[in-house]
Amino acid sequence: MTVSEQTKVGQNYVDGLRERFGAAILDAEWQTADQVTVTIKLGSLPDVVEWLYYKQGGWLSVLFGNDERPLNGHFAVYYVLSMEGIVKSWVVVRALVEEHRPEFPSVTPRVPAAVWGEREIRDMYGLVPVGLPDERRLVLPDDWPDDLHPLRKDAMAYNQRPAPTSDSETYTFVNDATGSTRDVPLGPLHITSDEPGHFRLFVDGEDIVDADYRMFYVHRGMEKLAETRMGYDEVTFLSDRVCGICGFTHSVAYSSAVENALGLVVPPRAQAIRSVFLEVERLHSHLLNLGLASHFVGFDTGFMQFFRVREKAMTMAELLTGARKTYGMNLIGGVRRDIMKAERTRTLALVAELRVEVTQLVDMLLSTPNLRQRTAGVGILDKKVARDFSPVGPLVRASGFKRDVRADHVYAGYASLPFDVHTEDSCDVLGRVLIRAREFFDSLSIIEYALDNLPAGPVLLEGFHYRPHQFALGFAEAPRGEDIHWAMTGDNQKLYRWRCRAPTYANWPPLRYMLRGNTVSDAPLIVASIDPCYSCTDRVTLVDVKKNKSTTVPYKEIERYGRERKDSPLK
Amino acid sequence: MELLQSYLGTQLGYVIWTLLKIVVIVAPMMLAVAYLTYAERKVIGYMQVRIGPNRVGPLGLLQPIADGIKLLMKEIILPAKSSKGLFLLAPILSIMPALAAWAVVPFTDHLVLANTNASLLYIMAITSMGVYGVIIAGWAGNSKYSFLGGMRSAAQIVSYEIAMGFALVGVLMVSGSLNLVEIVKQQGHGFAGGSILSWNWLPLFPLFLVYLISGVAETNRAPFDVAEGESEIVAGFHVEYSGMAFAIFFLAEYANMILVSAMTSLMFLGGWLSPFPASWGWLGAGSFFWMAAKMSFVLFCFLWFRATFPRYRYDQIMRLGWKVFIPVTLVWVVVLGAWMMSPVSLWN
Repeated sequence: MTVSEQTKVGQNYVDGLRERFGAAILDAEWQTADQVTVTIKLGSLPDVVEWLYYKQGGWLSVLFGNDERPLNGHFAVYYVLSMEGIVKSWVVVRALVEEHRPEFPSVTPRVPAAVWGEREIRDMYGLVPVGLPDERRLVLPDDWPDDLHPLRKDAMAYNQRPAPTSDSETYTFVNDATGSTRDVPLGPLHITSDEPGHFRLFVDGEDIVDADYRMFYVHRGMEKLAETRMGYDEVTFLSDRVCGICGFTHSVAYSSAVENALGLVVPPRAQAIRSVFLEVERLHSHLLNLGLASHFVGFDTGFMQFFRVREKAMTMAELLTGARKTYGMNLIGGVRRDIMKAERTRTLALVAELRVEVTQLVDMLLSTPNLRQRTAGVGILDKKVARDFSPVGPLVRASGFKRDVRADHVYAGYASLPFDVHTEDSCDVLGRVLIRAREFFDSLSIIEYALDNLPAGPVLLEGFHYRPHQFALGFAEAPRGEDIHWAMTGDNQKLYRWRCRAPTYANWPPLRYMLRGNTVSDAPLIVASIDPCYSCTDRVTLVDVKKNKSTTVPYKEIERYGRERKDSPLK
Repeated sequence: MELLQSYLGTQLGYVIWTLLKIVVIVAPMMLAVAYLTYAERKVIGYMQVRIGPNRVGPLGLLQPIADGIKLLMKEIILPAKSSKGLFLLAPILSIMPALAAWAVVPFTDHLVLANTNASLLYIMAITSMGVYGVIIAGWAGNSKYSFLGGMRSAAQIVSYEIAMGFALVGVLMVSGSLNLVEIVKQQGHGFAGGSILSWNWLPLFPLFLVYLISGVAETNRAPFDVAEGESEIVAGFHVEYSGMAFAIFFLAEYANMILVSAMTSLMFLGGWLSPFPASWGWLGAGSFFWMAAKMSFVLFCFLWFRATFPRYRYDQIMRLGWKVFIPVTLVWVVVLGAWMMSPVSLWN
């Protein structure tokens, strides 16, 4: 889309870059009024990102690769910076990587926040980040073939899956402890997490000296699926399924990415309705986390009570969308369902009930004497670590940074809605709990205000056309932090590239620093305090210790046994 | 007894008679344990606005029986590389003291299996052995979680046994006896004429509180259930146990709870004595009814604590034990000594 000179936000950053790096800046192109993509020479990538990040108040939201060989003969890497200095805008730094020399200078030594993204680019595209200290895989399994990079356009079909060749994990966990420590594993399956993630705690007695972890046990290949199998509107429903709790934020982020890329103006009523649904999602998600936090400190009464009240939020979702989750509501260009008067009245009544009940519960929780003891000073995310790693959501806000996409980069209907960005300076679990409680009440107010002031008009924009190779960012503040999506349209009624970054992806890397210095008792609580979303087991490993052998049962075998109930693979 | 002796001879008759008495205590005990689990689930259920078990039998009353049968049917899995002998010894070590302690517990002034003069000492000695079961279980399972649980239990026991012991020293001082029957009888006369006010809980109030809280810690109950730490180390010391081996730990924990509630009733709440004047007929007379009522009250408090408090971290438990309870009890023992020697003593 063409953005007129007057409305370009973020020109100062581009001017600053040109002044400082001169010839290294090849091109600057605005996708929307506040999104600019700056193409630079590959060699100055670390300098440019570092300058924007530390000198200009940028935060690294997401980075990803793209196989643009069919378009321009090169791979490309994109570093998306959320500029939150004086001028709030998005600056996407893009650099082209030559096909015959698939490497790029690593940014991680300068900006630690880039570490996961660069490891993922190496896995997915085979582009080597030169200078990246961490040489382990991030996403791919240990026995994945070395030369198969799934997201390359010529690599593989979405449903192809190389057969596992090994039964054991060879992943090495990093331990920076100086003294002697013992390993305590937490997961891949642990009682406090319904999702698989393997935390390795290095302990001295009960004290955690260091910690490391690996995720991606259940990588679902959604990006590849979207690029190869699905139409634009289908991907909105796929993106709902990214998360079991905050899926709606993903579909808002995805659809607004495509809308931004095509320059569509979504009707205000649709925007307001999206905001309402987003806040309903925040209601039930925050209640879930408050309940879980109670459970992890052994306070099951709090857990039960929060889950009881949470039913009201689920009822609200059912009322508004027809399902207990706010899923399946988005299309590119608007929403599928309007809010009628009867639903509005009942929702407002539920909001009032929730406000009363949750006020009581939060009072009860905070006046429980040793809850404060268990949460205050635990899982401290140091401000410097927070600044270096670009975490998001209540986690970064509890470390004193005022970051919230709803306020920083207004989207959906948030321009006209009343809310505060709550911060705490305690940097600990208690701070995160308090922030979630306050945000809950803000969400109630937002829902009330938005329902009372719904703009009139249509809820869906129709009759537009998709143009190929347009790209832009879409974003939404999920309960656990910002979701950020980058979508590029293709020429076959499918996406060319879709990058979806869930908030927890940004919050995992600093977790290690939060675990250090705490005790094993607090580990599940600290992990839960970032409100993590991991993701379902696809294969089972049987270990027979007596015979010292292990066999891996593929998912298909279990599925077959599930149907036929004969020849159990487990025997 | 005479009847038995006439058939079996003096020696054998006595043994059989004693065994019968043991069965008469242990069998209702086990039933009480089973229904304590039911009560726990119901009480906590109501506190958390749930219903609790309500499917097996009327009001779910057969639930504990169903649980028991299920546990009996289950396989006991011996983890590979565990230390098998210790692994099987641990549950025995934990149930044995929990049951043996009942030998000297009086239910009324004459209903007691062994009315020895050192009964308090005996209980202190035998209950502190229970923790060996937990520590050995933690070690034998050869799992890191269970080992952490065992370590925590050891740390907990050293923090609480001392405070608990000192709390009992206070009781010992005012009653001048180690015999549990005598301790109760002493509470029956005193400054308020043997009424509810003269029982030890009021004059020894700080010790009463310390004893009650240490009792919760001693039995590894929430909020001091760090050895189990469900949301942290899964099940702690018994994470590797299944079937009856697990059930025995479970029985021991609940038998200990009942024991601590019996001890609290005897030491501080006047045992079988009635809170009402003697003129009130059977309500005014001391009886097993009052003993059971007091024990139920203390047990209810245990359940209530569990529903109210978040779990303490184990360093917090240690801090509470060493920095609060031990100084409190020490000071109170000195105060009590001075009080007893002063003209305003209540215990002359």
